[in-house]
Amino acid sequence: MLSKLWVLAYRDLWRNSRRTILSMTAVALGLALLIIMNGYIAGVMDESVQNNIRLNTGHIQIRASSYNSDDMSLQWKDLLSEPDQIAARAAALPGVRAAAPVLWAGGMIATINDSTSLQISGIDTTSAFYAPIRDSVVAGDFLAADDRSGILVGERMAKSMNIGVGQDVSLTVVDSDGEADEGIFTVRGLFSTGIPSYDEGTVLMPLSKAQAFARADGRASSIMILLDSQEATDSVAAALQSPDTQVLTWRDLNQAFLQTMEAGLAFYYILDGIVILIVAVIIANTLLMSVFERIREMGILAALGMKGRHLTQMLLLEAAVLGLVGIGVGLALGLSGVAYLTYVGIYIGDIASSAGSGVALGSTIHGRFVPGTFAGISLSTLVIVMLSALYPAWYAAHLEPVAALRG
Amino acid sequence: MDAIQLDHVSKIYHVGAIETHALNDISLSIGEGEFTALVGPSGSGKTTLLQLIGCLDKPDSGTVKIKGQDVTRFSANKRADLRRDSIGFVFQFFALVPVLTAYENIELPLLLSGVKPAERRERVMGLLRAVGLEDRAKHRPDQMSGGQQQRVAIARALAPRPVLVLADEPTANLDTANGQQAMEIMERLNKETGTAFVYATHDPRVISYARRVVKMQDGSIIDAGIAA
Repeated sequence: MLSKLWVLAYRDLWRNSRRTILSMTAVALGLALLIIMNGYIAGVMDESVQNNIRLNTGHIQIRASSYNSDDMSLQWKDLLSEPDQIAARAAALPGVRAAAPVLWAGGMIATINDSTSLQISGIDTTSAFYAPIRDSVVAGDFLAADDRSGILVGERMAKSMNIGVGQDVSLTVVDSDGEADEGIFTVRGLFSTGIPSYDEGTVLMPLSKAQAFARADGRASSIMILLDSQEATDSVAAALQSPDTQVLTWRDLNQAFLQTMEAGLAFYYILDGIVILIVAVIIANTLLMSVFERIREMGILAALGMKGRHLTQMLLLEAAVLGLVGIGVGLALGLSGVAYLTYVGIYIGDIASSAGSGVALGSTIHGRFVPGTFAGISLSTLVIVMLSALYPAWYAAHLEPVAALRG
Repeated sequence: MDAIQLDHVSKIYHVGAIETHALNDISLSIGEGEFTALVGPSGSGKTTLLQLIGCLDKPDSGTVKIKGQDVTRFSANKRADLRRDSIGFVFQFFALVPVLTAYENIELPLLLSGVKPAERRERVMGLLRAVGLEDRAKHRPDQMSGGQQQRVAIARALAPRPVLVLADEPTANLDTANGQQAMEIMERLNKETGTAFVYATHDPRVISYARRVVKMQDGSIIDAGIAA
């Protein structure tokens, strides 16, 4: 019997092929929109977090208990006193790819014509952690560990201040004693990470020089730890706990951004709901119209002994065909869209640089395939389509044969 | 045993505040294998009576018995089962399922009854032969004439081997030749299968086929006729 109901349902759908195709198109476009939207959001979130991990935060950081990253304190009590030993212990843990001390200081760069505030990072130039920076040098050379006067400057900052490789610039920093110290440094190279917020506000110099310049006496602000796998974060962080330090994971370090994105996601969930609701209304309308057009025919089927549950099944099968074909097309369209976003991306220029330093997006943003989410959205769409068919199916099942035969 | 037994059956329709007495205290028996015409002018209650006999509707009072079973107390599902297994319908407007072929239309009640595929095929092909439409098996209703569609409807009505077939103005939408052909087929199948036929009409040429004529007027039976 079910096979005949399938035949009836399928053929009934194609009686009004234009309406059926439009309804399937609505399902397909709705689903495609949801998939592209969710792929885009997942891509933006993931890209920003991964960029931040790669360039700014690492997977884990160890800091002195009293260190506050907002004021980039250089007071000795806020710094790690034996950073090399701590970094060596961290590097010896399984799953740790690199562990490197870093010293941060707020400062100012100045030329004869221009000046701007920035973050000075004293880095272990030999660490694998800085491989992305090494790879992004676009002019000049990367820093040597024993370079006592060289710095690396972001290409965007260099352009805005009209600085070139080999040029001397003045750097000023408020040292650990609270006094302003100024030094002349030579630009050894320019880097371009593709992240405007990083390239506009960061100057890099060897750690030992930064420690001397800021009078930190061999101390460091943090130990940056890069892992082989992000999934190992919690286990490695647990192994690094000690009473005198704070151990922060990438989630803690990107908390503001993640919270902002999660708040923003609520808006997208509402959009998801609206799109699914529109699809549901279209399907319900299509099936209800289809029932109204066939009332007399349903009366005939009832006269032949077809029960309400058979009519319900028939309408649900029609909804299933509409939904499944629409979802198939929608998946193809949506995945194509996500593939474009993933492999080509959307050029947004400098928009990301104005979004704040917590948003580490490049000038091109990319989507991401999130199969679990896409499967969930597809399944939700099918469920909504079937739910929206319940009222038309209920209506058909409860038609009185005599009334139905009158049409 | 009578195929149908109606005792003091009344039916009132309510349209807004207006009451229409469609049937007034009708009592009627129709035996197995009868070929009976319900005749009377429009509004005399012929269609309402067929609907009550066919378990498509319930009377407001009185009882309707099919093969001795009081169907007025049946649930909607049980009435559907009775229609499926024991009653065939032929409607004035042919009433085929437009998306199914002639073969599939005749097969549909057999599918609902759970008849096995081999027997289904045998019965459907037999009925198509009986109504002279073997070559139209794969045609859909819109590819057949009105007369052909009505013959398919007759075949479909007989497919489940029912106790009776109810036909409401079966020739009203057919020309004379096709109407005559449909009546001849119904008459022949009545004799061959022993299935009782009750049909409503006001066409004297169609009435002439009946072996019993029940006359109705204003919701009452004015002459119950005598089975030949």
